[in-house]
Amino acid sequence: MRARVERHQQAAVERHQQAAAFVFLALVLFGLVATARAAEPSTPADPRAMTFPAVPFSPPKAKRMVLPNGLILYLLEDHELPLVTLSAMIRTGSLYEPADKIGLAALTGTVMRTGGTVSLGGDALDDELEFVGAEMGSGIGTDAGSASLNVLKKDLARGVVLFADMLIRPAFAPDKVDLAKKQAIEGIRRRNDHPASIASREFNKLLYGARHPYGRESTEATVNAITRDDLVAFHRRYYHPNTTMIAATGDFDRDELVRQLIGAFGPWKPEKVTYPTVPPVKDQPAPSVNSIRRDVTQTQVRMGHLGIKQADPDYFALSLLDDILGGQAFSSRLFREVRTKAGLAYSVGSAVIPGNFDRGSFFLYAQTKAGSTAQAISAMKAELEGIVAAPVPERELEEAKQAFLNSFVFSFSSSAQIVNRQMSLEYYGLPADFLERFRANVEKVTTKDLARVARKHLHPDRLIILAVGDERAFDKPLSTFGPVRAIPLDQPTAALQPAAR
Amino acid sequence: MTVMIRRLRGAARVAIAVAIAIIPSAATAGSLLEGRVIDRTLANGMRVLLVERPVVPTVSYNVTFRVGSVNEQTGESGLAHLFEHMAFKGTTTIGTKDYARERPLLDEIDRLALDIQAEEDKGRAADATRLAELRTRFEALQDEARALVAPNELGIIYDRNGAAGLNASTGVDVTRYTVSLPANRFPLWTVLESDRLTHPVFREFYTERAVVQEERRMRVDNNPGGKLYEAFIAAAFAAHPYGVPTIGWASDVDHLTAPMAREFFDRHYGPSNAVIAIVGDLDAEKTVRQVAAAFGAIPARPAPPPVVTLEPAQAGERRIEVEYDAQPQILIGYHKSDINDPDDPVFDVIESLLSSGRTSRLYTSLVKTRQVAVAASAASGEPGARYPNLFTLQAVPRAPHTLDEVEAALLAEVDRLQREAVPARELEKVLNRLDAALIRSLQSNSGLASQLAYYEAVAGDWRYLLRIRDRMAAVTPEDVRRVAAAWLVKRNRTVARLVPPVVERAAP
Repeated sequence: MRARVERHQQAAVERHQQAAAFVFLALVLFGLVATARAAEPSTPADPRAMTFPAVPFSPPKAKRMVLPNGLILYLLEDHELPLVTLSAMIRTGSLYEPADKIGLAALTGTVMRTGGTVSLGGDALDDELEFVGAEMGSGIGTDAGSASLNVLKKDLARGVVLFADMLIRPAFAPDKVDLAKKQAIEGIRRRNDHPASIASREFNKLLYGARHPYGRESTEATVNAITRDDLVAFHRRYYHPNTTMIAATGDFDRDELVRQLIGAFGPWKPEKVTYPTVPPVKDQPAPSVNSIRRDVTQTQVRMGHLGIKQADPDYFALSLLDDILGGQAFSSRLFREVRTKAGLAYSVGSAVIPGNFDRGSFFLYAQTKAGSTAQAISAMKAELEGIVAAPVPERELEEAKQAFLNSFVFSFSSSAQIVNRQMSLEYYGLPADFLERFRANVEKVTTKDLARVARKHLHPDRLIILAVGDERAFDKPLSTFGPVRAIPLDQPTAALQPAAR
Repeated sequence: MTVMIRRLRGAARVAIAVAIAIIPSAATAGSLLEGRVIDRTLANGMRVLLVERPVVPTVSYNVTFRVGSVNEQTGESGLAHLFEHMAFKGTTTIGTKDYARERPLLDEIDRLALDIQAEEDKGRAADATRLAELRTRFEALQDEARALVAPNELGIIYDRNGAAGLNASTGVDVTRYTVSLPANRFPLWTVLESDRLTHPVFREFYTERAVVQEERRMRVDNNPGGKLYEAFIAAAFAAHPYGVPTIGWASDVDHLTAPMAREFFDRHYGPSNAVIAIVGDLDAEKTVRQVAAAFGAIPARPAPPPVVTLEPAQAGERRIEVEYDAQPQILIGYHKSDINDPDDPVFDVIESLLSSGRTSRLYTSLVKTRQVAVAASAASGEPGARYPNLFTLQAVPRAPHTLDEVEAALLAEVDRLQREAVPARELEKVLNRLDAALIRSLQSNSGLASQLAYYEAVAGDWRYLLRIRDRMAAVTPEDVRRVAAAWLVKRNRTVARLVPPVVERAAP
């Protein structure tokens, strides 16, 4: 039954995955005077002409506190349902793992949860949490560590204790370290099963370099080189109260929860942490055309280049420009031209991914049958060239602004969303009113701004193009777009591996 | 714009959105919902369900039709899904610059499409010259018609008004249209959606057919999980239409036409086949009156023809292999009855025992202890629930462990269900996890709207949500043993394995 309903919900999010641009802070407001009369079935209003005022709304704000040991808390009560959620961010990341032990950060994050704590083994912890329907997790990504707890109100006090144990005193049980390593290696074996994951991974390497912390990836050798001691040391180095923030939302009494958090986290001693230097992302690599051979009937196309940081003042305008180019579905040029009019792709679009600490990326993507690969690349390129060469019409900018401003309210759909965003803004060094500024800045964007940021940040003449597919079946050779470099896969596909049956 | 994901999820499946029910402690999901669902049937048979949730000034809409790929005829697989795509193409007023001029062109395009198809279907005997002429003419007409189209206008109007989650999905049982809007856009939603239900126009049909073929290549042909699932389900169902893929066989999709979509619409999109669920910051009574005003005028239509085919009892194990250049995986399915069968909650309990969380039996055995797999899970209700369906097991082996080892480990857990009584504490855990998941499922407007509409359409009553918890609570260890012994047996199962192709290595 769970599978059933979830399948539906999964389906509902599909288009967003396809639109890859997760950082869509799409939003709203605006609107004019309501002619919003009750619908009259005999003479229905023209939906194109209907206008509405902004919905009145003042989102709640979380309370921020700092404990004496440096731990930062964000607290926002919400008594609608008898649930409490704690989310933590920890200043660490795979950026800081050594090059010969890639995978160390991810393993540390995983085994903090699965390996139990000094007071409770991993399996016993699973038992206790799952028996009361609680969920607790931990992980480390590229530039942040995270942890979360979701419990029924009645189980909060115990939940806080377990959550603190996981963050402060993980046991890293050797058998769970071993299991996590085995699973990571199986993941590596399977990483060429889906053409889309090959494309994302290899494109990232092309942008940032295969050795740079933003581009590199684990191999069987780097995972095998990791020991339990490495995990213990990685945790000990980065997990401290002064590198941690915790956001709480849900059905709690603030004073009581603060007392519980102080009880659990208060004794945690702060420590000065020094971080390894992350080499800056090198300047724009040369344009190139790259091919990865995979015997599939549909080609994965990526084309783009390095992008900007989130703190860049041009981000607001560039984000709107991306909505117009391909960040939005129905309303974007790429969707209209490549999908709706030409029928070349189901999944097509563009994404401006802002970098948190260094340069982000900008790219166009599509999946098209082998026989229309060159046609799709040309069509996408033409749209990119077009948006740089010719000014965006006023009307198109206005549509994009309206879409952005009118959906603003969905950035405040839940208390957890509000409080987690506040925490994450602080983590990444962005102003607390970033979103409000975003809205104000979007309102001010002009077609001249769009033209300026297009010229400055989009470079159709400097594209890194990647196609994963069967070039024998392409409509035109990839060399149409420039000298082609063939990239070998880092390991043989399943068919060429020893007896996988 | 998607085909429902029919691939089974692995152990990573998060326990969300199970149902809404009554839990024994003070604040229960049931008590949190009880009395809040406004439930009306319009004179034309349309069902309307509303819940006020004035947390944020937004409203989520879910329009679910009791039609899916199960309602397609032989040779027209993929029609329900392609129709769903066409529902974004507009109406006589939306999506067009001049419908009066567009209409005759669309008719001519439809005629030409049939001519081209007929010629193509002659295969080797096809007249190449005639085909080329027809295609040239077809392209020219399409260009002419395209000049009169306002592309994606429905979506653009929604976007401009701040829509979130504008989407649709098609499954075997139901087709669903969803959107969330700022609360004051309700009048816009009623106009757009009632128009879409009364005056649809199937423009850009043949281009969209190509888009769907790309969707098929993405989800099935070049996706190991999708490919295995399609072959698995086709092997498991010899007679019932559940065996036909929702996205359609590629050759069938190539033969779908706009007149077929029109006929499908007339037959299946009548108001009595629709459920509208609305959740958010609204005045329910007032909203219900306005919904009645906007949708009540749609004329009632006769009920669509029933699905009459029954899957004959399986008389022996079926085993298939799918060769594909990816690492191996396995799917096992057992036939079982439909969602309203008295034993269906027993399967829900078995699913949870086997598959819910890291303490579940499959994860504990295959992933943690034996370490033969990286993921293992179970699901009740594949590929649908309205008709007799499958209980499935799935696993992803960890090298060097083989599919044989993984299959044996999965079957050992099935065997255990038949032999050992489930301990009381394990059944209690199932209920506790269910209760917590139920409360979590109330956290989102769109999630709640989705569940209300889904159970109304598929189980015939949204109150399924209020009852399922108690029905699962009533399941005894003996029920588990009895149901496992009756259904989860070799004779009744289909085993599908994804294996890498055997490649002759060229001499160095």
